[in-house]
Amino acid sequence: MFDATRVYRWSRLLPALFVLLTGCASIPPSVSELPDTSPAIELDDTPFYPQERYQCGPAALTTVLAKSGAEVSLDDIVGKVYLPGRQGSLQVELLAATRTEGRLPYVIDGSLAAIWRELETGRPVLVLQNLGVEVIPRWHYAVVVGIDAERGEVALRSGTDRRRVTRIRTFLHTWRRGGYWGMVVLAPDQLPASPDRSRYFEAIAALEQAGRADEAAIAWQTALREWPGDTVALFGLANARFVMQDYDAAETAYRDLLELDPGLSAARNNLALALVEQGDYDAAMKEIGFALSGDPAPALEQELRDTEASIRRRMAGAGD
Amino acid sequence: MGLQKARGALLRLVSVSIICMGFAQAAPAGMIGTAYILDDESRAASVSRIEVLLAREDVARQLAAFGVDQALVVERLNGLSHAELLELEGQLDSQVAGGDIIGLIGAVFVVLLILELVGVTDIFKSF
Repeated sequence: MFDATRVYRWSRLLPALFVLLTGCASIPPSVSELPDTSPAIELDDTPFYPQERYQCGPAALTTVLAKSGAEVSLDDIVGKVYLPGRQGSLQVELLAATRTEGRLPYVIDGSLAAIWRELETGRPVLVLQNLGVEVIPRWHYAVVVGIDAERGEVALRSGTDRRRVTRIRTFLHTWRRGGYWGMVVLAPDQLPASPDRSRYFEAIAALEQAGRADEAAIAWQTALREWPGDTVALFGLANARFVMQDYDAAETAYRDLLELDPGLSAARNNLALALVEQGDYDAAMKEIGFALSGDPAPALEQELRDTEASIRRRMAGAGD
Repeated sequence: MGLQKARGALLRLVSVSIICMGFAQAAPAGMIGTAYILDDESRAASVSRIEVLLAREDVARQLAAFGVDQALVVERLNGLSHAELLELEGQLDSQVAGGDIIGLIGAVFVVLLILELVGVTDIFKSF
């Protein structure tokens, strides 16, 4: 007989079980292993910004931004990401600040091999470490600039050390306590060394949401070279053109996309808006009508109705 | 539990992007952003991943042993927000990075985890 109360009591224990299962974890091989042939790499030309009190976040971010070719100063970045009250920076703030510099922050897979592959393409990796222990954490951001598997060492720009050398095992333990979190800074025309499609696309979409349409357009074009004909990337490129007010190019891009996927009502909505901007109200109404006839999801239908109403208003205004 | 945290993180992310829009090009009114179809896509992937898990014979048997209707779980799954789905996936992933989660931690535990996170175990409170 099924005892519901017991199951319920059991389920209350789940959080404790999580801690038990994850707290004593050692470093799995999937994190620590490097490809068989991985010669020592070190990016000696990575600049160094020694941190001032508690400001390891801004210092590390300025380092990777400068290496990517962005013109930044430590003072600017401190203003953007340092929270005096908390004496530190949040990961999301590092990501957001990277976007305001027109660069694409990409969170890499949490493995030493992923760091190594980024270094191989010339990109240092900003990592979150916990130099303390779980109960008394001491969070620290540093930049991995080199890995030497034979000597078992990683080289970092860290704190006030231009070149801190740490044992790989030690580094991996501090990184594990930092949730294996690491990011690289990409110029808009660069792909990550081993891109995860959805994570990379979300990074570009976030750049678009931050209002960096020029850079987002370049990034979507870069994505399309890796994933030719990808509908999300085509949609992104068309949207970037639209935001850049290049309505003619946007129209062409939406039409190309709709040829591949005629049921993509979100693209039809935006095509209608691009047509309105060019004064072609009739064509715009036709597109909206077509999208509405395709039984869109409720949230999308509302968007389409709003667009329809705004086209009518524009038409009425133009008639005066 | 963790769902609140995920919601908080999402809100923070949204507020950061709103602040950033201040000094950059704003999207035209009415334009549907790229994130919209990306969310759709990744939400569908999350749901189907968990549905595949639920459809496994050992998991289905365990659900039946608990007297829980699989359709109810799927219904709850579809009712979750995207952030909640990601949280659920994250919890499952945190148990094992890749690999066969059921083989490593057992069907009972996976089922309990899913039931708790989709909120089905709340119904047991009324017993």
